[in-house]
Amino acid sequence: MWLPIAGLLIGILLGLTTGFRVPDAYSSYLSIAVLAALDTLFGGIRAHLEKTFEEKVFLTGFFTNIILAAGLAFLGVHLGVDLYLAAVFAFGVRLFNNLAQIRRILLEKWSRYRERKSA
Amino acid sequence: MKVKGSHVILSFVLLFTGFILAFSFQLTMESRSSADFSSQPEVEDELRNQIIMQQEANRELTEELRSLQSELSLAEEETAASERRYFNLVEDMDKLRMLTGEVAVQGEGIEVRLDDADYVPEDQHANSFIVHEEHVQRVIDELFVSGAEAVAVNGRRINHQSYIQCIGPVIEIDGDRSFAPFVITAIGDSEQLELALNLNGGVRDRLVSENVEVRIQKQNNIILDPDFDDSEDVQS
Repeated sequence: MWLPIAGLLIGILLGLTTGFRVPDAYSSYLSIAVLAALDTLFGGIRAHLEKTFEEKVFLTGFFTNIILAAGLAFLGVHLGVDLYLAAVFAFGVRLFNNLAQIRRILLEKWSRYRERKSA
Repeated sequence: MKVKGSHVILSFVLLFTGFILAFSFQLTMESRSSADFSSQPEVEDELRNQIIMQQEANRELTEELRSLQSELSLAEEETAASERRYFNLVEDMDKLRMLTGEVAVQGEGIEVRLDDADYVPEDQHANSFIVHEEHVQRVIDELFVSGAEAVAVNGRRINHQSYIQCIGPVIEIDGDRSFAPFVITAIGDSEQLELALNLNGGVRDRLVSENVEVRIQKQNNIILDPDFDDSEDVQS
């Protein structure tokens, strides 16, 4: 259980201490990538809770989502259409859906646990 | 606790997510802090404010300049007025100097010559046949009254402080003795002066009746020199 948390902390530390600079024009790609990563993460958590978690799906979904979102934003910038808004919208909706599912499953688990304890 | 493959994958994904999150967070912070310094509209606002302030200052300075100019023109007018006044004063002074006999005066005028009578009858006293100071005084008074600008007796200027005194057969004018004949020269309108002296029952008639020989002559150009030592005498 401690390994993922350690990974998260190391990742945050690396991101804060790195001197790597991204030009301002590409900052929108980064925000899309952040959204995609979060979406995949929450999707993975939901799948884990629903016991339908598959490592390969999770891993490929994570990277393809990020790459696809960045590519969409790139295309939008070069076509003059704000396509990255579509990505933001889609990822946002999915993010909230996933969060709602997770909340529901957790609530169900908790109430079942309480029933079992009181019984 | 056994390390499962899913845990490794999860931690790897979390590491990547954390990296991206922190990185974008840092980037956003940087761009925001740099935006504070060079954000276009704020700079524009500041420049516009500066322009407005400069314009305000310009307007104030223009106002000041205008008021100073009006002050200057006022001062100039004042100077011009005082110059005019000085000019008038100088002119007045010239006229007054003429009257007091401090400057030479030149112009047309009249010459009156008073002389003792040549013929003195045996039975009468000689005193009635010579020119007295009152005769001279009368002529001078008449000349001044009829508008003479400068009067002299035997070349001696008569001013407002002059005195004429009788000392036996001679008369004294401001300390100078004069003998007959007395030539009284006056500068002024010669026509008018002559008329005034020749009035019926006027100065000439009276002098003649008092046995004084009177000869009046108009002159085109008379020069009366100033008399300096005379005024010193009067003052001392």
